[in-house]
Amino acid sequence: MKRIFIDPAKCDGCKNCTLACMASHSDMTPRKGTLEELRQAVYALDLTDPATQSRNRIISDGKGGYKPIFCRHCDIPNCAAACMSGALEKNMETGLVEYNSDKCAACYMCVMNCRYGVPAITPDRTRMVKCDFCQHLEEGPACVRACPKKAIEVREV
Amino acid sequence: MNSCTDCLSRNTCPSADKPMENYIRSLPLETAHHRVAAQETKCGFGLQGVCCRLCANGPCRITPDAPRGICGASADTIVARNFLRAVAAGSGCYIHIVENTARQLKNTGLHKDKIRSEKALNHLAELFGVTGTDKYDLCVKVADAVLSDLYRPEYEPMELVEKLAYAPRVKKWKELGIMPGGAKGEVFNNIVKTSTNLSSDPVEMLVSCLRLGISTGLYGLQLTNLLNDVVLGDPEIRPAPVGMNVIDPDYINILITGHQHSLFTYIQDRLLDADVVEKAKAAGAKGFKLVGCTCVGQDLQLRGAHYTEIFDGHAGNNYISEAVLSCGAIDAVLSEFNCTLPGIEAICDELKIKQICLDVVAKKANAEYIPFHYETRQADGDRIIDEIIAAYKERRGNVPMNLFTDHGNKNTLTGVSEGSLKAFLGGSWKPLIDLIVAGKIKGLAGVVGCSSVAYGHDTLTAELTKELIAKDILVLTAGCSSGGLENIGLMTPEAAELAGPNLKAVCKELGIPPVLNFGPCLAIGRLEIVATEIAEELGVDLPQLPLVLSAAQWLEEQALADGAFALALGLPLHLGVPPFITGSKLVTKVLTEDMVGLTGGRVIVDGDGKSAANTLEAIIEEKRKALNI
Amino acid sequence: MERFVIIGAGAAGISAAQVLREFRPNDIITVISIDEHIHSRCMLHKFLGHERTIQGINFVDPDFFEKKDIYHIPCQTVSKIDTEAKLVCYGEGYNIPYDKLLIATGSGFFIPPIPHFREAPNVFGFRDLSDALKIDEAFGKGKRVFIVGSGLVGLDAASALCHRGAEITIAEMAPRVMPLQTDDYAASVYQKVFEDHGCRFLLGIGASDAVVDGQGNITEVILSTGEHVPCDFIIMAAGVRPRIQIAQASGIKAERAIEVDDHLRTSAPDVYAAGDCTGLSGVWPDAMAQGKAAAENMAGIDTPYEKPYPFKNTSNFFGVTMLSVGRMDLTEGADVIVHKTPKEYKKAIITNGKLTGYLSLGDISNHGLYLHLIKNGIDVSDKKDKIFRLTFADFYGINEKNGEYVYTV
Repeated sequence: MKRIFIDPAKCDGCKNCTLACMASHSDMTPRKGTLEELRQAVYALDLTDPATQSRNRIISDGKGGYKPIFCRHCDIPNCAAACMSGALEKNMETGLVEYNSDKCAACYMCVMNCRYGVPAITPDRTRMVKCDFCQHLEEGPACVRACPKKAIEVREV
Repeated sequence: MNSCTDCLSRNTCPSADKPMENYIRSLPLETAHHRVAAQETKCGFGLQGVCCRLCANGPCRITPDAPRGICGASADTIVARNFLRAVAAGSGCYIHIVENTARQLKNTGLHKDKIRSEKALNHLAELFGVTGTDKYDLCVKVADAVLSDLYRPEYEPMELVEKLAYAPRVKKWKELGIMPGGAKGEVFNNIVKTSTNLSSDPVEMLVSCLRLGISTGLYGLQLTNLLNDVVLGDPEIRPAPVGMNVIDPDYINILITGHQHSLFTYIQDRLLDADVVEKAKAAGAKGFKLVGCTCVGQDLQLRGAHYTEIFDGHAGNNYISEAVLSCGAIDAVLSEFNCTLPGIEAICDELKIKQICLDVVAKKANAEYIPFHYETRQADGDRIIDEIIAAYKERRGNVPMNLFTDHGNKNTLTGVSEGSLKAFLGGSWKPLIDLIVAGKIKGLAGVVGCSSVAYGHDTLTAELTKELIAKDILVLTAGCSSGGLENIGLMTPEAAELAGPNLKAVCKELGIPPVLNFGPCLAIGRLEIVATEIAEELGVDLPQLPLVLSAAQWLEEQALADGAFALALGLPLHLGVPPFITGSKLVTKVLTEDMVGLTGGRVIVDGDGKSAANTLEAIIEEKRKALNI
Repeated sequence: MERFVIIGAGAAGISAAQVLREFRPNDIITVISIDEHIHSRCMLHKFLGHERTIQGINFVDPDFFEKKDIYHIPCQTVSKIDTEAKLVCYGEGYNIPYDKLLIATGSGFFIPPIPHFREAPNVFGFRDLSDALKIDEAFGKGKRVFIVGSGLVGLDAASALCHRGAEITIAEMAPRVMPLQTDDYAASVYQKVFEDHGCRFLLGIGASDAVVDGQGNITEVILSTGEHVPCDFIIMAAGVRPRIQIAQASGIKAERAIEVDDHLRTSAPDVYAAGDCTGLSGVWPDAMAQGKAAAENMAGIDTPYEKPYPFKNTSNFFGVTMLSVGRMDLTEGADVIVHKTPKEYKKAIITNGKLTGYLSLGDISNHGLYLHLIKNGIDVSDKKDKIFRLTFADFYGINEKNGEYVYTV
């Protein structure tokens, strides 16, 4: 499987990954996910709308450094184990923890059970939000391409 | 040392000018075209204009979790403030140019120096309503009229506005309360407004942009041209060579960059003096040549009829300057304003090219600063010439030559201005109006402003222009867009083949290209004079004309100030990328929608040439319909 | 070839079947269940509220059994296990042999000894699809509902029927709603939102008697206050009890729950138990985890099962979301820190430098680490000032080999 590896020492806290994530999942959903497509989608983002959500977070450590928090698509995913609707499942072929929002009952057991605090809830409280590895993009996770410091990269594990 | 061994394997950005793209890719030196790839990732907050670093609490960025900055500023405030700052800075640039130009005219009068166009002088005197004892005194009076307006406080209206601007527009501006005060004061006042915890009213700030637009357009653009015409000569239509083929390595070549042609007046004449030519010959060259680059090169090209001996031709726009320097045959760079890219510094070092800066506002780190003073121009000029000769001697034979002799073309139509075009048409706009009314020319599009590289060098400008002419829309250009379009041959008579059937027939009959080159960005002011005169003849206001503007590849803050003028004039303005405003719904709506109700203008953002051309065509057709033509 | 049998098709049973199939691709796996349809009991309210169909509350793929080549024997009650002969006896005299057996019978609702309640045909639980179907049918005849208990189950039922225009009365012995998960403030928020949707709460009040009609149906509940509350039917949500009847009938040790060791083995050889019937925990994720651990042990992979941390829950009623972990009731000698804004309410209980309770009402995004901190007794004494803003960044670590995160404490 593939995983987004993180080198926190390289992170400058620019949050480009955050905006790329928002753009990738916006109404202007890019298909390929080229930086050009993402830029166009970034222009259109409503950054004052709480419904514009990112699946990743960059947290300042208060000492000048940053800690990127990205879904690990864990080998043993607690979120999926906690899911009582079958909406979250580990895909054994891709290794990804996939989310089927149609199945989701918004019980938020996943939120409680991810020890890394990755899953978020939607403002309308009807869905959860987590990394989907940008499977809808031909070029893979938007965040990775958006990082100017190459602090995140996709690697095979 | 910036030459890079892996340049060949690295991406350079695409260019509308394919031979140039290949040339740049093969260069052993790094240019802006090479740096695009490493800067491909753009800061999203920056793109949206919602990053604020006006105070030490910042930078604050707007996100759904943080909809306000620490001070409480909303996205609307931050975007409007950033935008107004940019427009004010851009206005400052053009006002600086017109100020120096007016001072130059005044000094010319005071020192009874050479005047190349009394016609232009009399035209201004008539416009301003000033008289003088002789032509020199008239120069002083005309210049003083401009300078005194520029130096007025911002609460005092400038006097020439009503004399320069079209009456129906003045009426509109008065209604909107956007008649500008002293141009420098406007810049000052608006910079203050956008400082920390001052204005947070996005609408007021956008209205201020329009005021700045008017002072920028009428003074920075229109007047700079007209004042320069007096000292530098009226544009005359003529074919000229363009592109890197203009560079003759047998001469000592000086690349000029900037916007203030009048600062070169002295030196460009001096370079032809016999004693100076002798010096060049003694050094092993045939003499001196100026090679045009950026807008000042365009201005020289525009007036090229007066400078056939000293001026080789225009090599290219701002983003070609690094390539031009890389050819090895340029011995010095004389710069006085933007767009003098910092990127030339490393190339000049590498190729031992002497850099001299005449105006501190454009000081390059490794340039020698020899400020232009009218009083000491002779001694300074000789010093400059000697230093350039020294550089020539030191570098020639010691640096590699990488000429690009087949680049560009030899028959670009140049010298188009409001005056020369009207003269070409027989002294009246009627023939052009008739062609428009008859539908032979569907409308006019000003494809103006800069050249940029981040999303392709001149690619959008070229694509849009080709689309427009194919739709029988006559394109008029001014700014670095001209430089890009002329190098790819769109301003040669042969380009008529690319035009739609009606426009093609017109071009063939008149022997003109479908894209008319007005020269530097300053000449956007000339386009607007053309538009005004046509409107006057038709008895309509500017927004009614089948005329659109596009700053497809706008680059700088200056372009935004120009754009504000276009909006104040009530014209539709297309931009290829948004001016960092989309983070504010309010600002975006005002500029792209509500402006129609205020001035008649509006901003259209579209990064695609085809669809942008369709939109602009639709606007032109709409306006034709409203005029019943 | 080994024969694995699982009794029960809830979270533990299904999770066990799934894991067994992963480790034993060729062995025989059989699931016997009372239920006809696999369903998530945590989503019963979605079915009862007519938001979803039966299929819509299935938590596995519709072709789960076919795809995994697992035999499913639905609608059958197991009567007894012959632990000597290793046979599961079910239905009308059927037997199925096993090599390894898992009991995952879950828990059933509990009816306190109130006169008429245990006998009345219009008193329902809300644990299984069969309960929901019965309620649905009853609701067709009358819309006045009396719910005993305001825990998650009771409120689930109430929220479902609210949507359908029921007239609901909820009696709660405790002085506030959801007494196990909330504090007074959080409870008041939920109470208000239910009241806004037409529910009536009777707090600190129990049912003590009832008026019945000729068929024995309760027509009025008599409260401890003496008040009579007319109703069409009653939903019992006053607690659950592990289902241990099969175990007891088979001589497997079970008093309140089926006794299991640290490998989830029961007292009978090769018989395991997982889920609510073990009494270890009553929440979905733990049942899933137990099913998985039991299955691994059954498959021969030594998997000790750590006792789960049962004090944890999330709720989402009418868009009011809450996360409640730890013991909100134990505040003696503890630091109680509260953060309250118009949009949020948070409360942290810190005992001896460790977080022992955490409640958050509002946006509970990214709150998962609090459970980890409480469950693992991680010291937060130096982080009290930012207790509501803790993120994994405060415990950040990366396993360089596989890129997963690890806690650094």
